[in-house]
Amino acid sequence: MRAGLRTTVFVIASLAVAGMLLNRVAAPAWSAAREKQPALKLDSSMTAAGQGVTLALLGGFRALVADAAWMRMFARWEARDLPGVETLIHVVSAIDPRPAYFWMNGARIVAYDLPVWRIEAAGGFEAVTKPVQERIRREQAQQALRHIEAAMAFHPASADLWIERGSIELNKLGDLAAAAESFRRAWEQPHAPFYAARLHGELLRRQGKKTEALAWLIQLHPLQPPDPEEPKADVVLARIRALERDLGVPPARAFQPAR
Amino acid sequence: MSANVSSKLSAAVPAVEIRGLVKDFSSGLRGLKLRAVDHLTLRVEAGQVYGLLGPNGSGKSTTIKALLGLLEPTAGECAIFGVPSGRVEARREVGYLPESPYFYRHLSGRELVRFYARMCGMGGATLESRIDEVLALVGLTAAADRRVGTYSKGMLQRIGLAQALVHDPRLLILDEPTAGVDPLGTAAITELILQLKARGKTVLITSHLLGQIEDVCDRVAILDRGKLILEGAVSDLVGRADRQALVVEALPENELAELRAWLAARGRKLETVETPRTRLDRIFLERVGKKDA
Amino acid sequence: MNTVPFSLRRALLIAQNTLLEAARQKLLLFFLLLALGLVVGARWLRDFSFGAPELKFLADCGFGAMAFFGAALAIAATAQLFFSEIENRTALTLLAKPVWRAEFILGKFLGVVAVAAFFCALLTLLLMAVLRWREGELMREFPEAFAQGGVVSYGMVALGGLLQWLKLAVLVALSLLVASFAQTQLFTIVTGFFVFVICHLQYLAQDAYTRAGSWFAQNVGGGLASVFPNFQLFALADSLNAADAPPTAHVVRVALYAAGYCAVACALAVYCFRKREI
Ligand SMILES: Nc1ncnc2c1ncn2[C@@H]1O[C@H](COP(=O)(O)OP(=O)(O)O)[C@@H](O)[C@H]1O
Ligand SMILES: [Mg+2]
Repeated sequence: MRAGLRTTVFVIASLAVAGMLLNRVAAPAWSAAREKQPALKLDSSMTAAGQGVTLALLGGFRALVADAAWMRMFARWEARDLPGVETLIHVVSAIDPRPAYFWMNGARIVAYDLPVWRIEAAGGFEAVTKPVQERIRREQAQQALRHIEAAMAFHPASADLWIERGSIELNKLGDLAAAAESFRRAWEQPHAPFYAARLHGELLRRQGKKTEALAWLIQLHPLQPPDPEEPKADVVLARIRALERDLGVPPARAFQPAR
Repeated sequence: MSANVSSKLSAAVPAVEIRGLVKDFSSGLRGLKLRAVDHLTLRVEAGQVYGLLGPNGSGKSTTIKALLGLLEPTAGECAIFGVPSGRVEARREVGYLPESPYFYRHLSGRELVRFYARMCGMGGATLESRIDEVLALVGLTAAADRRVGTYSKGMLQRIGLAQALVHDPRLLILDEPTAGVDPLGTAAITELILQLKARGKTVLITSHLLGQIEDVCDRVAILDRGKLILEGAVSDLVGRADRQALVVEALPENELAELRAWLAARGRKLETVETPRTRLDRIFLERVGKKDA
Repeated sequence: MNTVPFSLRRALLIAQNTLLEAARQKLLLFFLLLALGLVVGARWLRDFSFGAPELKFLADCGFGAMAFFGAALAIAATAQLFFSEIENRTALTLLAKPVWRAEFILGKFLGVVAVAAFFCALLTLLLMAVLRWREGELMREFPEAFAQGGVVSYGMVALGGLLQWLKLAVLVALSLLVASFAQTQLFTIVTGFFVFVICHLQYLAQDAYTRAGSWFAQNVGGGLASVFPNFQLFALADSLNAADAPPTAHVVRVALYAAGYCAVACALAVYCFRKREI
């Protein structure tokens, strides 16, 4: 028995020493792997542990299981089962946080569909007072924004998530300043669509910040990609001219496009 | 000259030497030890056929496993041709047939023998012919390409012999080779042992059927509960020099009385009169043997 | 005196016999069919299709099958092929030959690792075929999404398969270490499974101890955590995009990491097995 104990201690100690040395060998590869897999980078230990367990138990099957859960979510959605849909949206993203698709569509359902269901469940748009409707809409929008916030931990450089965030801030909260900021952040991400930048300028204008809007559009103009439908059209220049008119910029100091 | 010296040396070295072997097994109950072998000392000279006898559980298999380095002895030491059993070298000149052997079921008989032959370092052109030879020797040529999983008990015993013999070892250790084998198979094994002895091999054989291997052994040791209780040459142990047996054609009662009187006149006594009986296995062997021939 | 040196040839013979046994026992076949079914079936598991991400989904399923069934195969095959020798007493005959116990352990390791290699290679090839076929279909369906040609880097798929195999090799070595002292096959399988899960969580413990700050926690705790290898490391190539390819130096480091754990675990298995009563 004592020999058994000695062997056990020897085995564990050898593995520990070897492991410490081997960890050094693998360290650069590990930090790179971690950089690429945001699920491994999470700081909040509960989420990290949860992700670790799902990774361990499901591994690559995460995709499959998340997919199955997403299908079930759709079934619940058709049945207008609000708690079911809410739960499954979170379950899907917890199982496989990698596809931005799940996060974005989940946020959309929370922000756009669920308030309608809640109001209808409370008696319909006729019966529910405007302030209550407004409160429900805000609550759902807030919840959707939290979902997108969580998504950004996994997709820190996703333009789509910032655009989705800006759209909810704009359409559901009417918060022009916040939405303008979100579209600007979207434009800073790699592979961002040009309309995010244009929307930022447009929202500056709608906030009354016409000087800032003009400056923004002027520095944006050279980056404008040609419209595949109408290659001649120059939407940004048209906007610039309109702002120059509103601000009373003299023609001499008007913006001169490079080409 | 050096070859001469080494051959003289190896003649002096016993094939098997066991000194003060003790093996305790700790049974599941706490602290309780079971002594399977108790201070056993044995010596098997090269060229002998040596029988290790004893009832079931007397420690024969344990002794052999310790000798082959498959078990760590609690105390004492074992050596094969002078090499301590703990070393891999000790097993180079040994062929071993375990008790009720069971082999890789997924291999055919030929593949199995080839595998063990190659494990013994054999290879090259002679390998296949040697495999055929041992398969023929144990009478498995016809079944050589069948899966071992389909073999009967007797066939397993024979393929076990083939793998033990394939590298032509100097020492052959057979653990209960006749257990569960029919009389025909037993006779074949006996025959094989005698052949090996004729070729100068050493054979260590165990059995719980004491009578069965009496005929082939030069020396025997009898174990009981791990202890050696008797050891010696078979002829010394079973022969009785002060007795003789006469076999005559059936005598009528009056002639038997005359014989008694004749003996009495010389101061001798007729101890027993019985009808000699042949052994059943001998009848079996005669009948089956004839049919086969 | 004539010595019998350690022989790689004998270890390879044992490995070959182990591989043959696995092949003829249909153990491999069972897991292979299961995994193959999944890889091919994955195409029909997803009802909604959104172009290129679907290919990633297919690859995820393929690697999922490789990781999951591969782990089950690695643990079960190690336990089964090791204990069949002990329980059927074939080890008795084998080790009564001039064979080192280290050769026996190494042979078993190489044999099961070869089984795992066969498994990973076959699944990787099949996954490549499925991806290629589906990629072609999608390219015809959504030509604008594939304007720059194919999106699947088959080099990344091959690298993914290789990393899966390295991970399985470490798992085999650890299972063999457990088997070398375990009394039963069931114990080996259950322990092997727990080891598999712990290895995926190892990085969390490592992080916690690194953050802890005290010397004691960092070295003693960190040391205990590194008893188990970090299996998340083998997710180095979790992408189909050639741009995400890890540098060769990193792949080499991961391979060394795996080889290091295999060597240490096998050496310890020999240590535990050295005096085992057969
Ligand atoms: N591995 C083991 N663990 C515990 N007891 C054992 C073990 N092997 C043998 N024994 C015991 O040792 C004794 C001798 O067994 P064995 O050598 O097999 O006897 P034999 O071969 O003479 O029939 C028996 O009582 C047996 O129960
Ligand atoms: Mg016995």
